[in-house]
Amino acid sequence: MNLLLKLAGSVALAASLMVPALAQTVTVPGQSTTATYMDYMKTVYARAAGSDMIQIGLTAFDKDFNLTPIAAESWSQSADGLTWTFKIRPELNWSDGEPLTAEDFVFALQHAATTGYDFAWYWSFAGGIKNWDDVTAGKADVSTLGLKAVDDKTLEVTTTAPKPYLPSVVSLWYPVPKHQFDKYGEEWSTNVETIVSSGPWVVKEWVKSNNTVTLAKNPEYQGPWKPEIDEVVLDSSLGLPEVGVPAFLAGDVDMTSLNTGQVAMMRQRFADQIHTNPVFATQYISFDLEKAPFDNTDVRRAFYYAINRDELTSTVLKDIAIPAHSILPPGFPGYSENVAKQAVFDPEKAKELLAKAGYPNGEGFPSIEIWFREEGGYNGAILPPMAQYLQSQFKQILGVTMNIKVMPGKDWMEGMLARKNNIYLAPYEYDYLDPSNFYGLFYNGGRHTYHIAAYDELVKQADSASSWDERVNLYEQAEQVMIDQGLIVPLTHPVTMNVVSDKLGGDAMTPNKQGFYPNWSGYVYTHLTKN
Amino acid sequence: MIVYLIKRLLSVAVTFFIVSLVIFLMMHAVPGGPFTEKDMPLSEAVKAALNARLGLDKPLWVQYVNYMAGVLQGNWGVPYQSPGETVISLLQQAWLPSLILGGSGVIIGAALGILIGMAAALKRNSWIDYLASTLSVLGLTIPVFVISMLLILIFAVWLNWLPASGWGKPERWILPIAAYAAIPLATYARYTRSAMLDTLNRPFVTALRAKGLSETRIIFQHVLRNSAIPMVTVFLPMFMGTATGSIFVEAMFRIPGLGSYFVSSITNRDYPLEMALVLMFTIGICFAYLISDLVYAWLNPRIRLGDDAQ
Repeated sequence: MNLLLKLAGSVALAASLMVPALAQTVTVPGQSTTATYMDYMKTVYARAAGSDMIQIGLTAFDKDFNLTPIAAESWSQSADGLTWTFKIRPELNWSDGEPLTAEDFVFALQHAATTGYDFAWYWSFAGGIKNWDDVTAGKADVSTLGLKAVDDKTLEVTTTAPKPYLPSVVSLWYPVPKHQFDKYGEEWSTNVETIVSSGPWVVKEWVKSNNTVTLAKNPEYQGPWKPEIDEVVLDSSLGLPEVGVPAFLAGDVDMTSLNTGQVAMMRQRFADQIHTNPVFATQYISFDLEKAPFDNTDVRRAFYYAINRDELTSTVLKDIAIPAHSILPPGFPGYSENVAKQAVFDPEKAKELLAKAGYPNGEGFPSIEIWFREEGGYNGAILPPMAQYLQSQFKQILGVTMNIKVMPGKDWMEGMLARKNNIYLAPYEYDYLDPSNFYGLFYNGGRHTYHIAAYDELVKQADSASSWDERVNLYEQAEQVMIDQGLIVPLTHPVTMNVVSDKLGGDAMTPNKQGFYPNWSGYVYTHLTKN
Repeated sequence: MIVYLIKRLLSVAVTFFIVSLVIFLMMHAVPGGPFTEKDMPLSEAVKAALNARLGLDKPLWVQYVNYMAGVLQGNWGVPYQSPGETVISLLQQAWLPSLILGGSGVIIGAALGILIGMAAALKRNSWIDYLASTLSVLGLTIPVFVISMLLILIFAVWLNWLPASGWGKPERWILPIAAYAAIPLATYARYTRSAMLDTLNRPFVTALRAKGLSETRIIFQHVLRNSAIPMVTVFLPMFMGTATGSIFVEAMFRIPGLGSYFVSSITNRDYPLEMALVLMFTIGICFAYLISDLVYAWLNPRIRLGDDAQ
């Protein structure tokens, strides 16, 4: 008996000693170098890495962009389409054991609406929450917002107009722990000791000098998408590929992004480990529709046909982007092949259209100057060489002389809104996964002061139609108006290239239907394994 | 000596206030502010509320006086980036890695540089001298991030002897210390070589040799001590320089030190953090030079400090 006890004790001791050794830690680049709060509902632009992993949204998207219930187990829409009821899973708790309630969600948005949330526009533009604008402007009391905790687990949202895509909008609605806020105020999300989680991860460590955050499994978490690995280290100092690639080569990290210069070498060495991730963004040319020479539809359409997008992406941009044939990127909900197939490279048609507009071979066409903004990241890598390519392409095919002006972001945006120039190179990245996000850019003035009655009417109808198929059909018609009137010239959709360790596995490491690998943190790190 | 010290401390205080004023004015002269450079600007009302809460709505001179009054009482403020911390608590978390790596780099680099410089001077025009000169030129001309990259590629990627980056275990310190050591090594090798050659050619060395002293004694007891004076003067300032020089090394080796704060405090217009870093660096440099001068005098009794300073 003693022998058996000793044996069992030895096995237990050996097992306990092995646990730390078996802990699976995945080290990847962090998202942010300027982190202030670890609370997505306090700040989006200065949030710490992991803010959107430690809390759960009401909904989320899987790797094929299917909307999935997360904190909400179900939802329903009222007959008039204006009120939504979300049922929160009863089993969900905060990491300190307190129950997660509808009030935590209401508090999150009420607080955001009144304290200068830098993403507040989203809840008006995308969410359409009743009284949102009046409350954020200080004209109405916060209690008048279209938000209500019916009971502990039932949340009611009222919108100003029918918003058929609200369930996807609320994927970015994360709860704020009211009980913790009451104790510590805004600072609850600035220290590891006071941060509590509703999601699959808890913050284990946060090194602020280089914004490195270590997340560990949340033992309290009972919702969907439970993690398989034990820890994720989000190291913001790995954000630069120049730092990440040597660390990856030495086996210190499990994934790093690649810059243009590194792609060829890494493809050669790690052919099966290069993952291309979609960025739901589009770079396009926009015009001032009322200023010559772009007040002529044929001129604008000539530019549409004068671009060899395949050559642009494969040679000039070395595959850090894919050709854009519509405002919606491939794979984005509502993407239409019918629309995309029209944006072809047709130099003869381009010349014909320009001649029809009164500028045969570009004769008499005024010298133009395209404006684009200085940026970092993938836009910074794409825009300058693309502008030069367009410059030579327009000269060669259309006989048009186009100069290039690079501007600080703020000046560029002000210039575009004030219509100081007639042609712009514009990037836009999605904020929520619904076609209304992209089409809203051109709706009734929007980003480019376009007022095209036919387009506005179609988008308006699509924005409030309740059937998904009907909406997609209406958006497709709206984009046809854009094409026919040459409102924009779609150019590229950026992609990011990562090299990942062959030790990583799981569903996050298998490509989706479009051949892309998911890169949204909520899904990826809960669907990841490590050998 | 005491009068000299008092004068120097007063000059440190004056320098501190001048630097604080210049930096404060420069920070605020740069267009924009902590809440104006975001992609999605805040509403004017929110900006005004934030500015009021942080005292940024007050006249500049009031802001300066308030800030300096706080500093003199030991309150360096709250960083805008990390409102849950104080500037001091934030820097306390970061100074140790920078001190360990930077300090070790300077000490090891200086020690090796002195040995290489001595060897080069004693074996003038030999292959040792040429090798030392080449090393010095390389150390001074190759940017530290290139040296860092080469160290990672050779010792972590190709040879797989050491981890490429990270912090915590001592084996992770070796490569960054080596990167830090490159400049002190090159600098000291050059300084030592030229100072020793200069001293070796002095008449007193010839006299010592004529007296029959052993070459070892001449070198270590007389030549090295006389050559050390210019080297001492650069040691502490160079040590302080690791604080700013750490930006690239810490980035390449992913070290959670002070380096990133030098950049992020400026890009984020985090005034309290920016001021604290500059002022602490100023105090450090001032005291580094003061201590250097004192050691200088101790090494060379002909140099007198104070009223009868030569």
